[in-house]
Amino acid sequence: MPIIEVDHVTKVFPARRGARDIRGRGGLADWIRGRKTETFEALKDISLSVERGESLGIIGRNGSGKSTLLSLIAGVTLPTRGTVTVRGRVASLLELGAGFHPILTGRENVYLNAGLLGMRRAQVDEVFDRIVAFSGIAEFIDQPVETYSSGMYVRIGFAVAAHVNPDVFLVDEVLSVGDEEFQRKCRARISALREEGKTIVFVSHDLGIVNTLCDRVVLLDKGRMVLRESARKTISFYLRQVGRERGVHTFAAGPLEAILCEGRISLFHNQEELTAPDGFAMFVQSLGRLHASTEADWVLTRRDPDGCTAEGRMMRLPLKYFWDLQLTPDRLTWHIAVECERETPMNSLDVRLTLTTAFTRWMLGDLSGVFPEIRPSDTLWNMLVWPSDTPLDDTRAAILPEEENEAVPRLIFRTTPLRPHFNLYWVNSDYAAYCRILFIHTRFPDKDAGLPPGRHELLRVEIEPAAGRDLLWRRLSPDRTISAGKVSACFERGWLKLAYDGREITALIHVFSSMLVQHLWNDSHTLHWGEVQNDGRCLRVSGESRRFPFFQHWEAEAREDGIFLRIWLEAVEALDAQEYQASVVLLPEYRAWRSDYEEGVFPPFDAKADKWRHLNKIYLPGKRLSALSSTLPSVTLEVTNDAMQFRMTPINTRRQENARVLQALCSSESGVFHFDRGRHLIFEGMIRIAPPGS
Amino acid sequence: MNGHIYTSANQREWLRVLPDLVRARELLRDLIWKDLRARYRYAVMGFLWAVLEPLAFTLILAFVFSVLLADKAAFLRPDNGPPFTTMLLSGLIFWQFTATALASATFSLVINQNLVKKVHFARETVPLATVCVPLVNLGVGFLLLLGVHVLLGGRLHPALVWVLPVFGIQFSLTAGLALIFSSAHVHFRDVGNMVNVAILFGFYASPVFYPLERVTQSGVLPAWAVHAYLLNPMAGLLTAYRQILFDGHFPDWTLLLWPAMLAGLVLVGGSWLFRRAAPTFSDYL
Repeated sequence: MPIIEVDHVTKVFPARRGARDIRGRGGLADWIRGRKTETFEALKDISLSVERGESLGIIGRNGSGKSTLLSLIAGVTLPTRGTVTVRGRVASLLELGAGFHPILTGRENVYLNAGLLGMRRAQVDEVFDRIVAFSGIAEFIDQPVETYSSGMYVRIGFAVAAHVNPDVFLVDEVLSVGDEEFQRKCRARISALREEGKTIVFVSHDLGIVNTLCDRVVLLDKGRMVLRESARKTISFYLRQVGRERGVHTFAAGPLEAILCEGRISLFHNQEELTAPDGFAMFVQSLGRLHASTEADWVLTRRDPDGCTAEGRMMRLPLKYFWDLQLTPDRLTWHIAVECERETPMNSLDVRLTLTTAFTRWMLGDLSGVFPEIRPSDTLWNMLVWPSDTPLDDTRAAILPEEENEAVPRLIFRTTPLRPHFNLYWVNSDYAAYCRILFIHTRFPDKDAGLPPGRHELLRVEIEPAAGRDLLWRRLSPDRTISAGKVSACFERGWLKLAYDGREITALIHVFSSMLVQHLWNDSHTLHWGEVQNDGRCLRVSGESRRFPFFQHWEAEAREDGIFLRIWLEAVEALDAQEYQASVVLLPEYRAWRSDYEEGVFPPFDAKADKWRHLNKIYLPGKRLSALSSTLPSVTLEVTNDAMQFRMTPINTRRQENARVLQALCSSESGVFHFDRGRHLIFEGMIRIAPPGS
Repeated sequence: MNGHIYTSANQREWLRVLPDLVRARELLRDLIWKDLRARYRYAVMGFLWAVLEPLAFTLILAFVFSVLLADKAAFLRPDNGPPFTTMLLSGLIFWQFTATALASATFSLVINQNLVKKVHFARETVPLATVCVPLVNLGVGFLLLLGVHVLLGGRLHPALVWVLPVFGIQFSLTAGLALIFSSAHVHFRDVGNMVNVAILFGFYASPVFYPLERVTQSGVLPAWAVHAYLLNPMAGLLTAYRQILFDGHFPDWTLLLWPAMLAGLVLVGGSWLFRRAAPTFSDYL
């Protein structure tokens, strides 16, 4: 038997007696004359049933009758026609702390509120400690609640409602209150209740949580039931259906389609939704409260088939958003500006791009990784990338689905901050929201200052689907890649990644250099590298050692037959070094090597080797060292400066590193190299790359 | 699961009132407690005020009528009757109960609308809890009355137990009226003001500061006016209390017949009316 049965219910709200209606009628004179005032039909012939353990979402625009339906189920009012039957105890979270009396203490109010929700005193005694623990305000529990902050009010209210252990939970927009951490706690608690098999009826504007928590979703429009389907279908329909209304616009170009709905953007590619139901939205943390762009009052000032401009005025903040959205067949451009009418204290201003979990891999700048699984125990966001605290400028990020997933494209995000202090993170959401988030975060250095009055251009976000992996890579970091013919190299954090004909041939730490100073190896990727200057063929970059007083300057030039590399040491003070080297770390597919004096094969990796193993027998200075493979292009490390003395050494790494290395090592034999203050060329050579078989 | 079944169809059934109230007894207690705590919470002397208030009241009255207005009091007082102060006090504390209870209960639903609009529970508990709150003042006042009575040379008769059934009638009457007025006030907000006016009128139209005999035996009023006066149930009730206290016997049952009938009628009718209106209170709040 269904636990909730709503049978042909119509609800007509009577006109309020003594109150004048829109036409000014309803005064005493009209009442004596028996003239009827206007009534309001909030629900029209609604029928639905909810099974035990099911969770039902109710969505719809303001005034569509959602809350009325909920209060009918709660038994707060009666239907005008039809019947409502609920087989079980109901706890409504319609308004948290509604029944609280300000003068009573938290403890007394807990008992009173639980009593209203139908609990016996003895039952409350049992769960009282848990209620207090959940609310997290144990030390204030014997204070009158009028001394509580509104946040504490809500906490204790939710804690009571969440522990009365009813059969049916009615939840109405309660999750939009409280701070973020508490909201997460609430969501987690609701998820838990759902897993305990409680029936939940849920009204929310937060489509994300409706999507994750509800098995079925009912869409109401002007009191009628429009759709009753799976969560995803209904939400998607809702977004489209309300598209004709104010503040909502659907636009498309090529395979891309976007919907702007009251401060939230959803993005589709070939009808496939790429965004999570929360879409792309903005949040402002001001005076301890989180304000979402979806709470703003939105007006569209431009509607084109492929773009729109919208203005959203925040209700509770003197703040107005200006969003400009433009679609071309290959990208969505989102330009964000805000206008502060007055001095507005802000702690942070975030842009959240939520994406479905079909995406599994992320890239951010030159970092990349895999999103871990989101498990039910995840009640907090899981930050995956925490980039440097230096403000970012023009940054690229990408998110990729599983390789086999053909339906979802790879996405590249290019964010151009128009103001400083932006930072980018990749985040896994909590279990309830269940999505991937590219979190563009601004923390204002002066917590209470925020933005001065006036209009501020904040950020431009460009989102483009990328077809191939190489294309993705090139788009992601074009300013660090040099190429000539089939040869290309990309500078990443102290190493050069080599590719031939689009295929990477180096591994692990790629082309790097290292210097032994005071018995410490200083690998190039441990230096702090600055901006890359690049003209597409030749790149220059400088790295600073934070350990010893020196810089390295790299200059790499792409040529048809390889990469020409020069490395300078700039000693800030006089510096003594024992050894230095430049190495090419290659894929394990390379099978053979050849030096000036001898040749050999790279043997299988030695499981017991605990350091890199030299493979040559003759340790004389040489000029040339090659690695050969049957399928990959041959690679030759060649010293081109005749004045330089390097020992050319082929090396096998340890097994777990699984790579072959060509190394040019300059050793002082016994003493040290003494570098005076100034700039010294320490390596000049060519990494020749020739097609396989040549 | 635990047998709770809610159907919108039977919410207006009058017969469900009693079981609902029995189930909500703890809630009723909590609501009374809430009102009491709220009233005395921040007062330094707290619940002591429940005693001090009637005590001060009694002292003031005793002073006024035995010193300042001694001659007027002598006029109102029957020649062989009890002292004026106890006579007045006995009328006053019982009248005060009904007056305060009705005045606050009428507004109780509107004041507690945040509860009524959000949660489903037996709505009767709200006005009934409000009616119960002045019981505290009444109890303390009654003890003071006994004290003053003894102090002025009165005797405590075993007949005092009859106060309880008589008060039962008064309480039922008050509760019934509270149910009617509070539900009416939700729909017509003029009711609250009317009740306040009626209470003020009732104070003079009931034998509070004069004995009933002053009306029935004065010979000033025509017979029909005396009958009309006796329609006021408080006339019989207050006189009954006096007979128990001062004469020490069960009161004249003819005095109680009409109030008892009326109380039953009002209680049944009031609860029926309240049940009819209660499920949709939230639409009008």
